[in-house]
Amino acid sequence: MILVLALTAAVLFGVGAYLLLRRDLLRVVLGVAIISQSATLTLMASALRIGDAPILPLPEALMSDPLSQAMALTAIVIGLASASLLLVMVLRVVTAFQSQELDEVAGEEAERDARLDLDEAQDHEAEEAAVR
Amino acid sequence: MTVLALALLIPWATGVVLVMLDGRRHLIAWLSVLALAISLLVQVVLAVMVLSDGPVIVTTGDWPVGVGITLRADALGVLFSLLSILAILTATVHQVIGRVHDRVFPGLVVILAAGLTGVFLTGDLFNFYVFFELSMTAAYVLATYGGSRRALGAALVFTTVNLLGTFVFLLSVAGVYHVTGTLDMGRIAERMAEVDPNASILVAVGFFVAFSVKLGLFPFHFWLPTVYTGASSAVAAILSGGLANIGAYGLLRFGGDLLPRELDLAASALIVIGCASILYGGVLAVSRRSGGEMLAYSAIGQVGYVLVAIGIGGPVGFGAAILYAMINSLNKTLLFLTTRMRGAVVGAAFVVGALSVAGVPPAAGFVGKLGLFRAAVDIPAVLVLLFLGSALSLLYVFQVYQYDFWRTARAGPPSARGQQLVLGAMALLVLAAGVWPEPLLALSSAAARVLTGVAP
Repeated sequence: MILVLALTAAVLFGVGAYLLLRRDLLRVVLGVAIISQSATLTLMASALRIGDAPILPLPEALMSDPLSQAMALTAIVIGLASASLLLVMVLRVVTAFQSQELDEVAGEEAERDARLDLDEAQDHEAEEAAVR
Repeated sequence: MTVLALALLIPWATGVVLVMLDGRRHLIAWLSVLALAISLLVQVVLAVMVLSDGPVIVTTGDWPVGVGITLRADALGVLFSLLSILAILTATVHQVIGRVHDRVFPGLVVILAAGLTGVFLTGDLFNFYVFFELSMTAAYVLATYGGSRRALGAALVFTTVNLLGTFVFLLSVAGVYHVTGTLDMGRIAERMAEVDPNASILVAVGFFVAFSVKLGLFPFHFWLPTVYTGASSAVAAILSGGLANIGAYGLLRFGGDLLPRELDLAASALIVIGCASILYGGVLAVSRRSGGEMLAYSAIGQVGYVLVAIGIGGPVGFGAAILYAMINSLNKTLLFLTTRMRGAVVGAAFVVGALSVAGVPPAAGFVGKLGLFRAAVDIPAVLVLLFLGSALSLLYVFQVYQYDFWRTARAGPPSARGQQLVLGAMALLVLAAGVWPEPLLALSSAAARVLTGVAP
């Protein structure tokens, strides 16, 4: 059981990491969401005892560890909130850049840097010329 | 006890209310400043209590000890939380005087302050994660402040990378719970010694990665320059002066307090990564011409010093790490606020900050560097690297001063007088901390005592 859970969590993390490295922004969000599921599963798997649902503890029955389930529940809520926040952010980026490719966002940054360098060089030359 | 609850509740409750109101109105913006100022005051009271009578511990909801979530304020936590609130308050006042352009800004800074207070004052591992996410979520939205295309792109990078960092943290939390069977930090520290080293090293690496991403240490720094230069100057000051403290605190708390055996094991690796950070940040900062970019790379270098001191460890090392983290937070708040401002006070404030980053007396940075040299005195190679790093920082700060203030970049009408006043006050604080360092030294050694149990 532990091996199955561990493998599932690992595969989920791997799939999420793969999606996170894609250029399409929507896939990046999906990657983050899948990695959050991997973390939730690990929280569930970290339970100290596995048994019946911990809703009505009977003295003779083996009860699952309620704490890890409470943690998983909190993590699911937080994961949902961050995924939706990320989606809104992607939506704003898509409207601002008219594109959902990460390359274009990065390309703009590179363009700006190149322009700054050029300005710098021109300023420097102008100064040199003034001194001469 | 009530003071500890108040320190959390005030920013939390006011933040939730403020975030629903229109923050562009002057009254609302100043209300957020008031809420932050009251939180700061409450924390000062709490700090005095903790420093004179020892840690304050509260179990929430009247649950029996061991069942309920514990809040614990010790010297280390109180110090970092005090400092972060101060940084956030300064940046917020600065922004509010200059006019807030975004309706959620005032509410979010207060929520961020609540999250940070919670992170520093909790004694429960999962609670730490929840507050961590609370402050990070506020920071993700703050990073978009201004709404320019650059800020949006930067915020997207910031959010994705840091979400990944928090999930790695969560995986480690699950691991710790499984091997120790508790979430209470005090009991984890007791039980960690008997845990199988394979498992404990794995969770320690997870925590290290998570906090390094937050701190922007060398191999995990890739998101930092884009974000710090893309965000507005007040937000950059909040992120680097307030939020980055989570990273330093986390490394100290989890390394020094919860996993001391693993910290010892990784000491040389930490020192190597720290030195790499110092050199990488220093060299790249020298190659930058604009104030914002130089500061972003300088931030990578400066946290390297903190990591080196943590790697050295022991009372002296931890003391130096705490001291340097505190001074670095003050420096970064001051310097990030000076970017995009003009006026006579701005130049003077920049020089004070620059002297402090380079470690020249009488600014506070000198005291921090002195502590570091004291800690590293037995390791000559590290000593040489620390010296080299300081020389690089002297070079890059004054290079930018020359480019920014002696050329035309800062020409034009001076900025608002109130903003200049804020900068002046912050610069005076950095100077005062350098001229009269005894309180800072006493505070940092009290905090280091929490981790090691002995006075340095």
